[in-house]
Amino acid sequence: MSLPCGIRNYNYAEDMAIIRTKTHWALLIAFLIIIFTMPLYFSNYWLGVFNLIGITLIAAIGLNILVGYCGQLSIGHAGFIAVGAYTAAILTNRLEMPFLVGLIGAGLVSGFIGIIFGLPSVRVKGFYLAITTIAAQFIIVWVINHWSLTGGFNGIKVPYASIGDLVFRSESSQFYLIITIAALCVFFAKNLTRTKVGRAFIAIRDNDLAAEVMGISLLYYKLLAFFIGCFFAGIAGALLAHWIGFLNAEQFSFTESILYIGMIIIGGLGTTIGPIFGVVFIRILQQVLTVNLVPFLENTFTMLPAGFATGVTPMLFGLVIVLFLILEPRGIAHRWGLFKSAYRLWPFSY
Amino acid sequence: MKNKKLVIMVIICLALIVAVLPLFSACGTKAQPGQVLKVGIITPTTGAAAEKGAPMGDANLDAIEYINTELGGVDGYKIEAVWRDSNYDAAKVATIVKNLMDEGCLLFTTSSSKEMQAAMEIANRAEFPGLVCFNAPSLHRPPQHVYGQTPDYGDDWIAFTNLYLKNIWKGSGKPKMALLLLSNPTGYGARDAARAYADKLGIEILWDGQVGKAFEHAATTTSETEALTRIKAMNPDVLYISSTPAPTAVIIKNASELGMYPKITIGCGHASFTKKLIDIAGVDIVDGVYGAFPTVMWGENVPGMAKMTEYLQKKHPKDADNMDYITAWAQSLVVAEILKNAIKNAGYDVLAKGNVDSWRAVETKGIQKLKGYDVGGLQGAVSYTPGDNRLTKFNRIYQIVNGKISNPSAWTEASLVKYEEFDWFGK
Repeated sequence: MSLPCGIRNYNYAEDMAIIRTKTHWALLIAFLIIIFTMPLYFSNYWLGVFNLIGITLIAAIGLNILVGYCGQLSIGHAGFIAVGAYTAAILTNRLEMPFLVGLIGAGLVSGFIGIIFGLPSVRVKGFYLAITTIAAQFIIVWVINHWSLTGGFNGIKVPYASIGDLVFRSESSQFYLIITIAALCVFFAKNLTRTKVGRAFIAIRDNDLAAEVMGISLLYYKLLAFFIGCFFAGIAGALLAHWIGFLNAEQFSFTESILYIGMIIIGGLGTTIGPIFGVVFIRILQQVLTVNLVPFLENTFTMLPAGFATGVTPMLFGLVIVLFLILEPRGIAHRWGLFKSAYRLWPFSY
Repeated sequence: MKNKKLVIMVIICLALIVAVLPLFSACGTKAQPGQVLKVGIITPTTGAAAEKGAPMGDANLDAIEYINTELGGVDGYKIEAVWRDSNYDAAKVATIVKNLMDEGCLLFTTSSSKEMQAAMEIANRAEFPGLVCFNAPSLHRPPQHVYGQTPDYGDDWIAFTNLYLKNIWKGSGKPKMALLLLSNPTGYGARDAARAYADKLGIEILWDGQVGKAFEHAATTTSETEALTRIKAMNPDVLYISSTPAPTAVIIKNASELGMYPKITIGCGHASFTKKLIDIAGVDIVDGVYGAFPTVMWGENVPGMAKMTEYLQKKHPKDADNMDYITAWAQSLVVAEILKNAIKNAGYDVLAKGNVDSWRAVETKGIQKLKGYDVGGLQGAVSYTPGDNRLTKFNRIYQIVNGKISNPSAWTEASLVKYEEFDWFGK
């Protein structure tokens, strides 16, 4: 970490601290205060959007660990989210288990399914691994649609999340639940990257042959990456299930998997803050386009051909992703890093 | 000095946030007395069902413009359409419905059953009434706060099967019917009806391996030759397709290529039976295909046809001959009637709140007070029957002849099927 002028690390604890200076603590506390007071200021709709952002963030963090840190390309993440969602739905609806059991169970089941579909990663990588994860997506969705336990094509209802007598019925209460879990996941991901496991992931990403020569077990760490990544996906799926209240396999399409890849690329692969930027950017863009821009264009520019305004959404999405890949391939996180450096060094340029 | 600069920046940022935040909470102002009646409209104008969603969105908004400009609104209050494109994406619908609730909409409408399925639980939990154009049994059984403007996909199957047995089937014993269904509520509405009623009607269903498992396809399918080959091996007498236009066109083309059609009869649910089907498949391919539809055809001599045709030609001539336009136009007229009932029975002040009290008023004093409302003759009469959330129960069977949808049968009333009483329903 780059420290402000005059600040030095004098012991190991200081060197390893995530929040190092008093200014950092003040900013973090202010940020947390703003986040946790948001239900006081925002409408139910915007709280719903932030809930969706929180859920997406948890899944994106898992994908970032798998793809960004360990270098295992996975384009079937929506399938693993579906596993978590349906596991939680079955445990809470059919078996009437408590919400927390469903939540942890969703993560574990999704993690183990991730290990099964991650087994090819030991032999194949890159494009070929991507194909196996795409297969995972379609296989999972097919099983969901053809298994009576999941409700098949009819879907399955999911009750409200609850812990004891506390039922998370309102959008605000769900917000607190989701944001708390998302914060814990971000904290876990940040710490994971600083441990032996995280360093092993990075070594495998950078050069798996050299990592193996150094004594890192590719089998163990690749499967562990899949487990952790899919565990996060399962947690996100469980929260999504309780938030929406009704599950259908069409909510976990292949397009969603590609969207998640787009989020972590735009945010910044291999960084903790990258998924946060990517998820917020994409989800806010979706809402702005759907709720504001498209109806505005449709109502204001009546001379345009019918349906033109609605076509703007997919066009803009594609354009944004392409522009990011061309102009800022390292994502918003890299740009944020440059901004922080410029601020720290100002008025000097280096 | 640097710390001072940082502290000042933080204070400025916090002050800006505090100053701006109330603006967000002000978003979605509720309807004020003397102003408008907000109605949420969700259509899949882009995405896999755009060929249906686009004309339906056009019709919804055209009808509302007609109501506001020529009819003076609803009892003097203009309808404000809060329109959103769902992109046929279930996750997007979930946030759209919450947006509509926050905007102060009194009810919301969707075009497709898939959109309503995604919105259903959120709407039911909040008691926010919804009206779906194309209905499936799982959306309104058991009845809650979602209402079907038209008979559901199961009613289509029952109506077609009745007509087939009465007028088309000339053999002895039970005819064999194969179902090739879209893998979402559009398809399994027909599947549920077939499973519940096939024995009673006297028809044998050719299931895909096990009872209750129909042959299925995705909305984006480009070939169903494999499924049709397996169906052909079972020697069906009739094939029923409940899907959207594009996949239905693919299926009929593949059936022709395999020599199955026109040897067997093909019937379609109302989700696919529009001019789009003829345009996509080709006139020669679909000639003779039957289909259920809950509205009249274009050009029929009914009171509401002239005005609807005028608006179509003025604003969206490309939607000419598209029966989805008729359905969605009728939907907006039904919405206006609902709001009229609600204003009369509950008062505008209640509706102006735009909250759960308004939604309950719209439902109990508006929707549930519908009695024999004639939608200009464009569809069957609209009435609410306690315990049955289908607002119209009438269907007609048409046939494609020389590239046109014609030969309408008499209006058939679809009786209520309590699917929830079957132990397999919803599983």
